[in-house]
Amino acid sequence: MFQVKAGDLNKMGLLFERYHRKLFSFLYYMTGKDDASEDLVQNVFFRMLKYRHTFTGEGEFKTWMYHLARNVLADHSQKNKRSVLHEDVQNYSDRISSGAGADDSIYKEQELITLYDSLGKLSEEYREILVLSRFQELKYEEIARILNTTEGAVKVKVHRAMNQLKNIYLKLEQ
Amino acid sequence: MTNCKDIEEKLADWLENQLSPQEQAQVESHLKQCPACQQEWQAMQQVWMQMGQLPVPKPSPAMKIRFEAMLETYATTVEEQQTYSPRHLLQLVKQLWQSVWMPRLVYSLLLISIGLGAGYWLHKPSDSQISQYQHQIDTLSIQMQEMRQMMLLSLLENPSASERLRAVSLTQEFKRVDPKVIKALLTTLNNDPNVNVRLVTLEALAELADDPSVREGLVQSLAHQDSPLVQVALADIMVKLQEKRSIELLRELLKQKHVDGTVKSKIQQTIKELS
Ligand SMILES: [Zn+2]
Repeated sequence: MFQVKAGDLNKMGLLFERYHRKLFSFLYYMTGKDDASEDLVQNVFFRMLKYRHTFTGEGEFKTWMYHLARNVLADHSQKNKRSVLHEDVQNYSDRISSGAGADDSIYKEQELITLYDSLGKLSEEYREILVLSRFQELKYEEIARILNTTEGAVKVKVHRAMNQLKNIYLKLEQ
Repeated sequence: MTNCKDIEEKLADWLENQLSPQEQAQVESHLKQCPACQQEWQAMQQVWMQMGQLPVPKPSPAMKIRFEAMLETYATTVEEQQTYSPRHLLQLVKQLWQSVWMPRLVYSLLLISIGLGAGYWLHKPSDSQISQYQHQIDTLSIQMQEMRQMMLLSLLENPSASERLRAVSLTQEFKRVDPKVIKALLTTLNNDPNVNVRLVTLEALAELADDPSVREGLVQSLAHQDSPLVQVALADIMVKLQEKRSIELLRELLKQKHVDGTVKSKIQQTIKELS
């Protein structure tokens, strides 16, 4: 599928159409910042262009894309120390308020803000695995390939991450 | 009997409703007899479902515009630069490394430079040495041609029309053209969105018309062209090549409603000259 390799930059536009929202959402959950995430998406696509000859076609394109995204993210985190997702919670709660339907109660809105805040307090490692499985809608098998581990290890990690998220959430709710 | 640890790995699939019926039964029976797990799992399930209700973060519309600008810049600066710099050559070599003849090419380059170096610096080369080098250089130039052809193929896919024009112009340097290149040129002739690119391609192909597959392709192309400029140029070439096979397709073209008036009279004249 990866004809970009042959130098066809047009195909890059199609890949952008297909994946940029998913990538943005991944990077947004990992950094908590709108602008930074857009820059990072741009960065991922730039690397795809630049290194398209290294994509061998073995293994899925998606895996390669997340590898690039994680590298870009690692560079970014190194420069910006730890990501502090919860600092952006105000911004995010605006999204939630404006996105809530008519019959959504304020109570429910508050719950979602608390949940978002809890995600921000989760370690990056645990947050990442939940973002990949829950928000990126990847199969555990795909996540295993992205993280270079086994499917079983991914599942155990999801359990531990969920357990921690639930504990943080319950604590914040009190 | 299963213990709490045994089912730890199953939660992930349980949350996604991916457990097999047996596993499902195993988990349920554990949860029934273990209130601690039951409480934990239910709480996690609730959080999991709630996560599904978080709004999806969306990028701003500016994102796409910036991407397109980046792509354009990349196509016109980075790729262009590389085409002329040693860095590009190196990259080209890397890209072509896997093809069969590439290692041979590098090997010959090495041999020749060692040979020339040693020959010229240590003593005057003998005639037989010189003819040997000449032979090596000839082989190398054939291999360089193959490399150019590969370059042409990749340039033809470039989104920028000027790059594609450059690709077509490379054919002038070819002594012998690979069938793959001919196929790519014919595709460009029939499908390129840019009329100038199609016209230049047509000229290049006309030069290669000794090849029967090129002739055949040119004749067939009559059925694909909708630009009057290209249609007229093709008709001229048909006369030049005395391609009688084109008469039938030219007649077809005349029947079509959307064909331009001047093109029609040109076609009629062409048919007359060919029959
Ligand atoms: Zn238990």
